[in-house]
Amino acid sequence: MPVILGSELGLINARVRRVMGVQPAAAPTMGTKVLAFINFKGGVGKTATVVNLAATLVKLHGKKVLVVDLDAQSNSTLWLMRPDQWREHVAKGRRSTFQSFDDAFQGKERFNFDEAVVQGVSTWTGFTELPALHLLPAAVDLLRVEDRIHEMKPSLAPRLLDRVLSEHFKRYDFVLLDCPPNLYTTTKNAIYAADGCVVPYVPDYLSLSGFQVLAEQVGEMRSRWESTLPRRRRPNISALLVSHYRQSGNVFRLAINELELSLAQLRARDVIPATTAVLEPYVRHCVRVAESTSEHLPVILYAPGSIGAQDYADLAENFLKHFR
Amino acid sequence: MNYRELATALEQLAHRLSKHADKLEGEALGSQAHRLLEDARKVAAQVDAHLASRKSGEWLLETLLRSPGAKRHLTLNALRKLVRETLGKRLKADALPAAKRELIDLAHAQASGQAVADALRGYLSEAASVKTGKKEKDALQQEFVALGSLSDEEFREAAGNRHLAELRRLASANGIPFTPKTPKVRLLHLIRHYGQRAVVNLMPPV
Repeated sequence: MPVILGSELGLINARVRRVMGVQPAAAPTMGTKVLAFINFKGGVGKTATVVNLAATLVKLHGKKVLVVDLDAQSNSTLWLMRPDQWREHVAKGRRSTFQSFDDAFQGKERFNFDEAVVQGVSTWTGFTELPALHLLPAAVDLLRVEDRIHEMKPSLAPRLLDRVLSEHFKRYDFVLLDCPPNLYTTTKNAIYAADGCVVPYVPDYLSLSGFQVLAEQVGEMRSRWESTLPRRRRPNISALLVSHYRQSGNVFRLAINELELSLAQLRARDVIPATTAVLEPYVRHCVRVAESTSEHLPVILYAPGSIGAQDYADLAENFLKHFR
Repeated sequence: MNYRELATALEQLAHRLSKHADKLEGEALGSQAHRLLEDARKVAAQVDAHLASRKSGEWLLETLLRSPGAKRHLTLNALRKLVRETLGKRLKADALPAAKRELIDLAHAQASGQAVADALRGYLSEAASVKTGKKEKDALQQEFVALGSLSDEEFREAAGNRHLAELRRLASANGIPFTPKTPKVRLLHLIRHYGQRAVVNLMPPV
């Protein structure tokens, strides 16, 4: 009997491995697109956009997506992992994005991508969903990166992430880098490693003024790094995504209009490329999205019928068209 | 736990069972192993069904039919048209949930899950597209900023004599709310105020 059991298990095992290898009717791979989600204004929906866009691209479009959490607050990590799992996974900063920076400071190579990456989203069944959604988690230790960055040669400081991770990025259709709400070293590393930047945006004047500064800053970085970047990569603001949108009243429509006018000015001055677009639909405020953080699930798994899930589904369609 | 980890755990167990098969015996172990075998057969059947569903495109079709995009965009008429075009059949159901089930059955019967899923994906992608008269909008936005930068007198000269329909187009392209009852004077005031505001807000803060 045990021999039969062993062979039965072997058969199941083979089937399980086959399941792991199958993607849902994926479109042909177009080459990896690495995108840094940046905005030095907080609360604009960076994490919500990264997590939910990534999950939608996997679930509905069969894409293989890596989310890289670069924010010491670890919000996209804690959205996709339960706190107990996260604490165990990143104990002492190991198996997190922090390790890739720390290795550079210590001159060691302890970061192991395959051990650090979390595959799939844990559900309450105990098994994962969305096996093609991978997460490179953050650790609070990332706060220490800024303290130690002066130990590096200034020209090397923005290239740490690219050096360690770019080889691994090739396994994915999309790599979404969730950045902290600032333009310090980790964000600069993300911009350096990325093919383009995506700016989550809340339609109000404070966001607009911040965006104008952000666009100039990214332009300056591009000029500064021109000689060291691979030819195909010129970090630009590729797209803006509007979140926390409310249709009532005229406040938001007017604010979006001012954003569009600002983009036209920046395009005319060559600060951003002509292809930079505000992708639609604008993601509306949705309480189910907020709830889904407590369930540690993207909204497409937690509340697929909600307006939040609908907005992200349509946004993913237009995101794919834009970055095709 | 993910399925890769399950596969590793099963491999390790299979290896141990195989290695020590000659030494294993006893009622407790036997009944536990029997339960595991029964469960393993059920899981194997589920895995096979899942793989078959993926291969045929039916899994994708069901995923898309249940997707947020379908909830927003897919109507009964659109589904009927899709079935006519991809399967050459007429849907009997007259409610959307029943029509979705009927579509899955039809696709299964004709082994056309992938073709129907592709067509549905195309429909949802098209439905999510944003159609705008971009050139016209760009021109109206530029005009709006130009009007905002004029002095009061210049603005009265440049905009005061325009037709109401023209002002409505300008307001509409620039996100200014108005109703069919909004009088021309009010519309001019709104365009003036928000135009001036846009000019100030567009100045770089540093």
